[in-house]
Amino acid sequence: MVECLNKTKVLTKGNYAIANAAVIAGCDCYFGYPITPQSEIGEFMSGKMQELKRAYVSAESELAAINMVLGACSTGKKAMTSSSSCAIALMQEALSYATSDELPVVLVSVMRGGPGLGNIFPSQGDYNQSTIGGGDGDYKIIVLSPSTVQEAVDLTYKTFYLAHKYRNPAILLADGLLGQMMEPVEFGEYPYPEVDHSDWALLGAKNRNSRIIRSYSPQEEPQCEHIRHIFEKYRHLEENEVMYEEIDTEDADLVVLSFGSLSRNVKAAIKQLREKGLKIGFFRPITLFPFPNKRLQEIAGKTKKFLTIEVNMGQMVRDVRLAVNGKVPVEFYGKPVGSWPSVEELAEAIEKAVI
Amino acid sequence: MATQVFKVPDSFKKDFKYTFCPGCDHGVAIKLVAEVMDELGIREKTIAATSIGCSVTIYDFLNVDAIESPHGRALAVATGVKRANPDKFVFTYSGDGDFASIGLAESLHAALRGECLSAICINNTTYGMTGGQLGPTTLLGQVTTTSPMGRNVEYYGYPVKIAEHVALCDGTAFSARVSLDTIANIRKAKQAIKKAFEVQLQGLGFGFVEILSTCPTNWRMSPQQAHERVRNEMMPVFVPGVYKDITNKENN
Amino acid sequence: MEKNFVIAGFGGQGVLLAGEVLANAFMLEDKKVTWYPCYGAEMRGGTVNCEIVMSDEEVSSVNKKEADFIIVLNQASFDKFEPKVKKGGYLIVNTSLAEKIENRSDIHYVFAPISEMAEKLGNVKMANMLSLGLLMRASGLLSVDILEKALDTVLPVHRKNLLPLNKNAMEMGYKYDLLAVNC
Repeated sequence: MVECLNKTKVLTKGNYAIANAAVIAGCDCYFGYPITPQSEIGEFMSGKMQELKRAYVSAESELAAINMVLGACSTGKKAMTSSSSCAIALMQEALSYATSDELPVVLVSVMRGGPGLGNIFPSQGDYNQSTIGGGDGDYKIIVLSPSTVQEAVDLTYKTFYLAHKYRNPAILLADGLLGQMMEPVEFGEYPYPEVDHSDWALLGAKNRNSRIIRSYSPQEEPQCEHIRHIFEKYRHLEENEVMYEEIDTEDADLVVLSFGSLSRNVKAAIKQLREKGLKIGFFRPITLFPFPNKRLQEIAGKTKKFLTIEVNMGQMVRDVRLAVNGKVPVEFYGKPVGSWPSVEELAEAIEKAVI
Repeated sequence: MATQVFKVPDSFKKDFKYTFCPGCDHGVAIKLVAEVMDELGIREKTIAATSIGCSVTIYDFLNVDAIESPHGRALAVATGVKRANPDKFVFTYSGDGDFASIGLAESLHAALRGECLSAICINNTTYGMTGGQLGPTTLLGQVTTTSPMGRNVEYYGYPVKIAEHVALCDGTAFSARVSLDTIANIRKAKQAIKKAFEVQLQGLGFGFVEILSTCPTNWRMSPQQAHERVRNEMMPVFVPGVYKDITNKENN
Repeated sequence: MEKNFVIAGFGGQGVLLAGEVLANAFMLEDKKVTWYPCYGAEMRGGTVNCEIVMSDEEVSSVNKKEADFIIVLNQASFDKFEPKVKKGGYLIVNTSLAEKIENRSDIHYVFAPISEMAEKLGNVKMANMLSLGLLMRASGLLSVDILEKALDTVLPVHRKNLLPLNKNAMEMGYKYDLLAVNC
């Protein structure tokens, strides 16, 4: 699998595709600890990074892995780790530090079933873990959610770019289904400009004052200022970096929302119902943060109802409700964990929701 | 003509403020680190991964780039810095709680991997910054705010001997324990720090020094009494010495 | 047009590899395609299957309720997947390891002693490639040449020597007389 780099089109697993894209994106350092269903990423990286003489460590734990990423990022390098669900729970503290330290941490999250050890079936149960997080204090993580293997590649590039452009941790949020499935992909070149970090990175205090990257801030006012500065970046992200996919919302009585690879099934179900004459639109947030609030408010002014479909007990639906702020009813359909609902099942559920 | 016998090391910041309690050995330890940096001429290529606790304030003293690590994760952060920049000099400066309790896995695994890093650990047998609670190095019988009747084995188990554990790791190039209770021992401490730094610069592996230190405030002692305690109570248990030195064939 | 395929058997029969070859073959024909595996917790000996969806447009869902074509290489897979063949679809059965029974009248059955045929060719492990030949004959979707090209793509360099024999297996499957089959 390692040799798929540079091939124009190749059939490959989502996990390998993401890893390969990270290498093409110029990832200098990979630090990781195995967990199903994303272990292929670390396996791929262990060979490829050594082959390219880049940094690779089989870390002793997820705690160590994410903190190694912090260390490497503090020097302005492109560094990443990848993990899943219960193990990403262990990384929350470091993510909080990284937002305050303004470090361009890249984390690939391949969701499995939870809570606790859960199981290795696909799931979308970590929407909240990614977008809200479990670290302390006021912070946000950039979250990108692909629905196909090709999009996983494209968004891996974007995850690196946004993390470095905004100096904030960014998560590529995939799921076990996307990680394990194969699909043809084209890698191309890393399409974004390199971000210059020479004005803040730790490279040794030569001919300048020393630099300290710290989150400890004993005084009240400087800390307020620092957090306001970070939230100014988030405002900028919301204005400039929102991505979504939208189909047939103009005349829709019902707009159905979903994220990630489940969206494929949802789109197929809507297509069936459209063929029956039902006016149903589709909306997929690609950036889960920044969430497409503005566009959803606009759509809410034109449609009668929203239906959010997720493989969890209702996580993104909360963001949708906040976005439309009571303008239209927002219903939810879902299951906790496991194989995605079939197109037939979804078509039935969507048809029931049509007014 | 007057001879200068004391000077602030060049690796210190020009505007540093002394923030440690009177009689605390952190000041001495940090000065030794700075003097060794001066002697090796490495300040400009140094990146420190600091820890949580009193030791974190080293970045207020030294004129070097530094990243503050989450509690216990200094050796992981340092690993990331060093692997990303093998040409830099990277060191950690932690307390015993950070290095050997919450961060024991990161510390020992960095040594086991033979990371070319230098680590300094201050052992003062207590959690200083939080007000003197029982830590991994608290001596048997020692009274702390969380061992009010003294450390007993039934409730607390035994203190950890850090330098010995680090020495057992195959990736360790140098491991020593030193004390700052006398001028002679301070000189030995500086030699050990220098050695722990040199093994990194020579690419030989992990360099480690455990420094026995005072915490007069939490020990409720005068600086002089505190140093007597280091000598009379700590040193018989935490015996100073070089526990591993792969550059010295006779020793091993 | 969207068609989906399931290949099922026990661990070690090369089910996932056969699926990978099939998916690569569709990719070489410029189709949109997905491959999705399903297996038990055990690394060896458990049941395993994979689903391949081929489409002219973006693949809608990667694991469907029913399939147009299903290959079952053992009895457990037959029992599990016979009900999941789409009405009018095909079930290709390895009669070396599964009974020749037809419980449905609305699907096509292709019975062949796939394992025994592969053994006669030289190695029982080629049953997976042989079954792909059968599938191509029944579906009429791809040629053996494309399958061979796909296998070439999938095989690592140190396994390329297996290519000629496996092509023979695919051809043998392709030429197997389906006329005796109830369709």
